[in-house]
Amino acid sequence: MSVKSIDPNESKYAASARNFRDNVTRYLANEELKNNFRGAMDYLMDKRKNSFPDANELETLREQCKLIKQRCLVKLPHLLEQLEVNLEANGIKVHWAETINDANEIIAQLIENKKGKTVVKGKSMVSEETALNDYLEARDIECLESDMGEYIVQLADEHPSHIIMPAIHQNKKQVADLFADNIEGFDHTTDVDALIGEGRRVLREKFCHADVGITGVNFAVAETGTLCLVENEGNGRMCTTVPDLHIAITGIEKVVEFLDDVPPLLSLLTRSATGQIISTYFNMISSPRKNGEKDGPEEVHLVLLDNGRSQAFADEELRQTLQCIRCGACMNHCPVYTRIGGHAYGTVYPGPIGKIVSPHMLGLEATNNLPTASSLCGACGEVCPVKIPIPKLLLRLRTESVKGKHDGPQIMKGEGSGRKSIEASIWKGWSLMHKYAFIYNTSMWFATRFRKLMPNNLGVWTSVRSAPKLAPKTLHERVKARNKKIPNKVANNAGSK
Amino acid sequence: MTSSFKQQSSNARTNILAKLKQEVEGSDYSKLPEEPSYSYPELAQEELLAQFIGHLEANHAQVIPLKEEDIAKIVSEQLKQRGISKLLYGKNALHSEQMLTLDDDIAVEAYDFTLKGNKEHLFNNIPAGITSSKAAIAATGSIVIWPTIEEPRSLSLVPPLHFVIVEAKNLYTNFASLINAQEWQNKLPTNAVLISGPSKTADIQQTLAYGAHGPKELIVLLLK
Repeated sequence: MSVKSIDPNESKYAASARNFRDNVTRYLANEELKNNFRGAMDYLMDKRKNSFPDANELETLREQCKLIKQRCLVKLPHLLEQLEVNLEANGIKVHWAETINDANEIIAQLIENKKGKTVVKGKSMVSEETALNDYLEARDIECLESDMGEYIVQLADEHPSHIIMPAIHQNKKQVADLFADNIEGFDHTTDVDALIGEGRRVLREKFCHADVGITGVNFAVAETGTLCLVENEGNGRMCTTVPDLHIAITGIEKVVEFLDDVPPLLSLLTRSATGQIISTYFNMISSPRKNGEKDGPEEVHLVLLDNGRSQAFADEELRQTLQCIRCGACMNHCPVYTRIGGHAYGTVYPGPIGKIVSPHMLGLEATNNLPTASSLCGACGEVCPVKIPIPKLLLRLRTESVKGKHDGPQIMKGEGSGRKSIEASIWKGWSLMHKYAFIYNTSMWFATRFRKLMPNNLGVWTSVRSAPKLAPKTLHERVKARNKKIPNKVANNAGSK
Repeated sequence: MTSSFKQQSSNARTNILAKLKQEVEGSDYSKLPEEPSYSYPELAQEELLAQFIGHLEANHAQVIPLKEEDIAKIVSEQLKQRGISKLLYGKNALHSEQMLTLDDDIAVEAYDFTLKGNKEHLFNNIPAGITSSKAAIAATGSIVIWPTIEEPRSLSLVPPLHFVIVEAKNLYTNFASLINAQEWQNKLPTNAVLISGPSKTADIQQTLAYGAHGPKELIVLLLK
């Protein structure tokens, strides 16, 4: 795989997010991709629905988990300190990083300290966020994704198009072609069992010899100092059991206060994500190898990453973004995501959650198209297991994106970057017009009389719609004229008031 | 170099915590809203067992109810059916002594080596492993593995066939009730794992395939 150049100041995803409009045009034209997503989303929506037969249970769990996450956020700084104390007491080292680059540097250093050369990775979206693979490969450290979907995506030199099912954009024929191109001795087949068998063969060999395992974290329990991982394949267990060094990386919002908080969150997470009542493995790591134990890593490290999360935290409304448990249900139910696919967003996190979380990571300047790419149908908010009001937050981000200069503190990096002076003046005019009757009446009189001058081409708006046509007379004028003709009715109406 | 990244991490810690504290320091925790919880119906032991077995079988695990004295016989049979002639086990568990009475043509090995230096052996020479379990969960068909020095965590992970012994008396209604009944808060081991079937993936075109990276088969020996 080619080594990419690394700009230490900006995530590579900022550039791709800026191309959102072009990406959308390109992906909408790809019929195979659209079919792959349609099939996958129908499957996942169905699975989720069937795993919640009792609506009452679902609503109680959603309310409970929303409040659990909100409690953990109100106590967040305290819980992070408690988590650190308990992890360190258990022998797990804790590191803190404000930026993606700092996180990558810490990880590279930890690997170098152990003279590690090969890394196997469990699925971790936070490490996608930091573009860790690029960073390590530039330092001659081999970094292999071991989740089957992530492995496929890495072979294709792509990044995940879905946070739970990374290779959802590919069908089995495409995967077979990819294996044939990349794995020596692979007999071309589209039999899924055989494809998985081939992946298993290659990756077990890697687990057996890797120096380092890197994973994400689904819940970090402050009370006990425990890192919890949810998975089906066993690659997470391999990465955390076989190599001598395990490094976990996660966002600061993943901490929960009590072990008791885990069961309801886990139940909602797996059911919302894939419709499973529980994942095949729920892996709880509380320490490195202890004296006398025969396996497990000698060292376990946790890297806590901020990368814009504290910005979201500082505003009470935007803070709700951090309730997310990364189930992916919002993208599965999103009419926009289903049609354009995960790569069109250009960000690590696609779909509705990506639209509200990416602006904090990449800044609004790079992402101000994202919150506008929504019909605000509300499906994402309705299925969210922790009740994040995603449509409301999209509106809030639209406002932040076009906000004018102000004297108050900055709320978001890149706020106001989407503001266009012509759009701002149109709205200013609109507001004046509706405030003063005289301006309204005069401008409407002119608009209706000169309606023929209205152009048929109104930019983006008319690229998929016909231009609106004004009526010859305003509604006010017509009602006035009608009331003159039937004075009785006016009298009746007045009397009924 | 090492000290500089430690310093950086320490600065990051200070900055992140300061930013967060600025927003929520002094919050009145007593004003937090009460969190509802759903009360699941109480089930009789027989119903719990049926639920447990049903979920495991739906997840492609094989469940064999048996008596303690039959473990060696059943394990021998299952291995022979699959043409497997080797089994790895741990000492000092409920079933350990019986492992010495498996059929003659099955070689048994105790896990008394360190993984480091023996990875190739574990990955390439061991077709099956057997472990005990700490508890089980009816609501999700899950088995709790609580590795020890004798039964290391890789014993339930690396061999392609995993036998696990579950005692019906250790079956709990759900995960929450188990955590509280066994007071896990104070005694989590290095690595506790909930296992609910053989390893699997649906990462290729949503088609379920078993035997992703861990065991391809899970056989649950259920002692009633």
